[in-house]
Amino acid sequence: MTISELTPNPVNSRDESTEPTRRSFDPERLGLGLLLLTGALLVVVGTGMVTGVLATLALALTLGTVVALIGAAILGGPEVRRKIAPYGLLKPGMLWLALFYLAPLVTLLRNSLSTLPSRFAVKADFDWNFGNYSTAFTDFGGQFQRGFGYAAVATVLTIFLGYPLAYVIAFRGGKYRGLLLGLIIIPFFTSYLIRTIAWQSLLADTGPIPSVLNDLGFQPILNALGIMDGDKILNTPAAVIGGLTYNFLPFMALPIYVSLEKINLNLVDAAKDLYSGSVRAFCKVIFPLSLPGLFAGTLLTFIPASGDFVNQQYLGNPNTSVIGQSIQNQFLVQNNLPVASAMSFVLMMIITVFVIIYSRFFGTDDLA
Amino acid sequence: MNSPNNDPLSRMSLSRRRLFARAGMMGAAGMSLPAILAACGGSSGGGGGGGNSLFFENWPEYIDPSEDDLTGTVERFMAASGVEMNYAETYNDNVEYFAKIQPLLGNGKPIDPDLIAPTSWLVGRLISLGWVDKLPIDLVPNAANLRADLQKPAWDPTGEYSLPWQTGFAGIAYNIEATGRELKSTEDLFDPAFKGKIGMLTEMRDTMGLLMLADGVDISTVSTFDAAATAFDRLEAAKNDGQIRRFTGNDYLNDLSTGNFAACVGWSGDVVQLAVENPNIRFAIPEEGGTSWADAMVMPKGAVNRDAAAKWMDFCYDPVQAAQITAWVQYVSPVAGVQAELEKIDPELAVNPLLFPDDATLARTFSFANLEEGVEAEYDARFSAITGA
Amino acid sequence: MSAPSSPLGSVARWGLNLFAVGVMMYLFMPIFWIVGFSFNEPKGKFNFVWQNTTLDNWREPFKDEALTDALLTSLKIASISTLIATVLGSLIALALARYSFKGNAFLDFVLVLPLTTPEIVIGSSLATLFLDQNVTRGFSTVVIAHVMFQISFVALTVRARVRGFDWTLEQAAQDLGASPMRTFWKVTFPLILPGILAASLLSFALSLDDFIITLFNAGSVSTFPLFVNASFKNSFSPQINVLATIVLLASVALMASGTLVSRAKSRRSTR
Repeated sequence: MTISELTPNPVNSRDESTEPTRRSFDPERLGLGLLLLTGALLVVVGTGMVTGVLATLALALTLGTVVALIGAAILGGPEVRRKIAPYGLLKPGMLWLALFYLAPLVTLLRNSLSTLPSRFAVKADFDWNFGNYSTAFTDFGGQFQRGFGYAAVATVLTIFLGYPLAYVIAFRGGKYRGLLLGLIIIPFFTSYLIRTIAWQSLLADTGPIPSVLNDLGFQPILNALGIMDGDKILNTPAAVIGGLTYNFLPFMALPIYVSLEKINLNLVDAAKDLYSGSVRAFCKVIFPLSLPGLFAGTLLTFIPASGDFVNQQYLGNPNTSVIGQSIQNQFLVQNNLPVASAMSFVLMMIITVFVIIYSRFFGTDDLA
Repeated sequence: MNSPNNDPLSRMSLSRRRLFARAGMMGAAGMSLPAILAACGGSSGGGGGGGNSLFFENWPEYIDPSEDDLTGTVERFMAASGVEMNYAETYNDNVEYFAKIQPLLGNGKPIDPDLIAPTSWLVGRLISLGWVDKLPIDLVPNAANLRADLQKPAWDPTGEYSLPWQTGFAGIAYNIEATGRELKSTEDLFDPAFKGKIGMLTEMRDTMGLLMLADGVDISTVSTFDAAATAFDRLEAAKNDGQIRRFTGNDYLNDLSTGNFAACVGWSGDVVQLAVENPNIRFAIPEEGGTSWADAMVMPKGAVNRDAAAKWMDFCYDPVQAAQITAWVQYVSPVAGVQAELEKIDPELAVNPLLFPDDATLARTFSFANLEEGVEAEYDARFSAITGA
Repeated sequence: MSAPSSPLGSVARWGLNLFAVGVMMYLFMPIFWIVGFSFNEPKGKFNFVWQNTTLDNWREPFKDEALTDALLTSLKIASISTLIATVLGSLIALALARYSFKGNAFLDFVLVLPLTTPEIVIGSSLATLFLDQNVTRGFSTVVIAHVMFQISFVALTVRARVRGFDWTLEQAAQDLGASPMRTFWKVTFPLILPGILAASLLSFALSLDDFIITLFNAGSVSTFPLFVNASFKNSFSPQINVLATIVLLASVALMASGTLVSRAKSRRSTR
């Protein structure tokens, strides 16, 4: 489903039926072509595949395409303008992305296949070294598993906590909905790091939470469940998962709320009449309609959580290390650019595959 | 050494308390230094032009600040020499800092500071990479005051590239209330009674140093990766079964106060500050041996303000000035003759064995040998794999 | 919604409400800690153990120079990057929502891609680019990095808000004699402005709080999150709590005033 099918009265389609094709060139093709060309040029320059004179040439060409586009717009008349307009609007933003998102990814790929000439060399030599990938898998397999594992558990927990919250606000909030939503968001105006540090303090051995849990006698149960380790909560996998759950809760709750809010209340009432019970009405009607929100929320939670290392850094222990931390360490401490790049790329690939499979399963609903 | 009556920490803590009675112990007190410097019209970044400014990037809490009626060393220096000095306390971690400067120095570009004070092993690496300039020692007459045992060290064999800022020890820091007894040996860190309450440093040479010494390896002469094999295995086992809770930087101080750690590997001067508010915190150099380290001033390649830097180093190596610095930071001064001067300021500190180690203590502390690049890479890789990176 | 007929249903209903309240409290626990400890007078370098209550920290919130500088830097970066990203992102949103054109789906895909990439990959790859190109990392590289992830966010948010927009309004305006430029500024823009503002506010918050991407691309520049991270290892002054609380209060005030303004506007328009 493309956006054109959803947007009422898109600007261009009205013209096509009335305008006879007299032109010898298709402005849309021109616009798209130029956009893609400049994007590709920037990627190529950015990754350093061309340097020196060639790079200057490439940049000049980029400038040239912008001029060409403007020229075509001016010379072509209002119809051409209308067709080229979207490409013109897209150009600056897309070019920024090309240079600072796509080019870096290509650079990452290239570095992942390179070798460092010496330990502290600043540039790696590209030599199709796939060994970096095997190192990434063999040495850091555990970190990958834990990274995705904790993220998965945290995502499930955010659904468990966030869905009821979104439900209550959407259906029982009444005129206080906005306020309640605001209340969900407010805690997240403080720094992510400070919130995690706050948990570190709250969960410390002499801190309030373990003390309360011990006083209430929950310790043996929690120990059995593997949530507590002796009398500690801090520096356990549970603490890391707890941190992830907390930090990503609004990313799950808000999209679910958006989906639920769109549901027509008459539909709900009708469902209740049909199914003679709130629970069945929920299962058959409300829940399926909230799936888009659930889908978006899962992606918005699971993806960042699997690459996160802040929670591990403050709340974890050396046995709970995750892939995000390893990548950071390889980059900023070991200065091992090739292996770090390989690990980054593998992380991204796994997530992309997951997203594709997940989208197929759920249907390609848009994320916004 | 740590019996209640002549516990060096409690004696040190009294003198520290005197110094801070009015000012309060907050790190913010130290961090108000840039404010004072800004007020003095100190330039931010003395790298370009004019030889009369200086940019020194140092570790936090590593110099006596100006507070109440005490003038800090930087202020005194600026008044005495007329040099505009920018003193920054943003050097937080050796490896992090190295990663920051690597793309610049590695590509032949200079970095902003004229002086930095990395730990000895990093100094060795910078020298071998050719990323530091020789110090203008001929313009520093007071350099002759350098302690004999620090001259021409393993990490700077010609002694031309570095001048130590402070030195200190790594040993066992512990909370006597949590441990219930005095700790004297590295083996105590592996006591199952403290399972899950032990911390170790991310600083490889301090953690591995202690473990290798406990194994009977002489770390001052070690040159191969195999020599550390047993120690590494032991570390890995302790990490896997949960004996070690975490590997930390300076944040072990926090964990000691909140009870997360019963004992950990720590640095001598830091623990003193903690002991002021919590007399239960003790420090011990293990029987098997502790490590001694030095942070040394070096000049990154391309630094311009050589004359100003020389004046600064000369100023700091004057025993009178050095004593002022030591009275605050309470690490081991690299300047000979400081003890005599310190007696005039703070007689209790002047006889403290942690600041002025006697021969018995010195015999128990060892400086980690300078490892060759390939061997160092093996150590770093194995250590990172264990510390969970 | 009709009330449940059975007592069990009542219990379940209130149970659910209570659960939601519980989750709300859970959300606020760290906030209580942050605000509470800003009134603490720590004995040592770390503000993690409660000692006494004091107002001193609030009397001197900017006592820690380096911290205040870091916060100011963060604000500067956030302002600049949000401005650039809002412009670029809104243009993209307009293009995607208003027109149908070739390559639409592909470009849509490229736009969504950064949102599905973990921050660590974005941060590290950008750092690699700068390293390869021998660009010194610092203030400008941070701004560039922030704009990059903000563009997608702004574009998708604005597009979502703009989706239901009736583009025939534009045609109506033009039929009445307005030029395309005038139509845009007088008709289209004011109607999509709320969406743009909302997107830019949220992306400002994202930039202010960004840690991972900034960590890789900051060089020696210190932003508020970077400062807090480094500070944690050495000392943790109560001023950090104070400034965090101030930022929190400012955001709440901003949000509240925004809601009040839009409510006033809608009341005016329905009168």
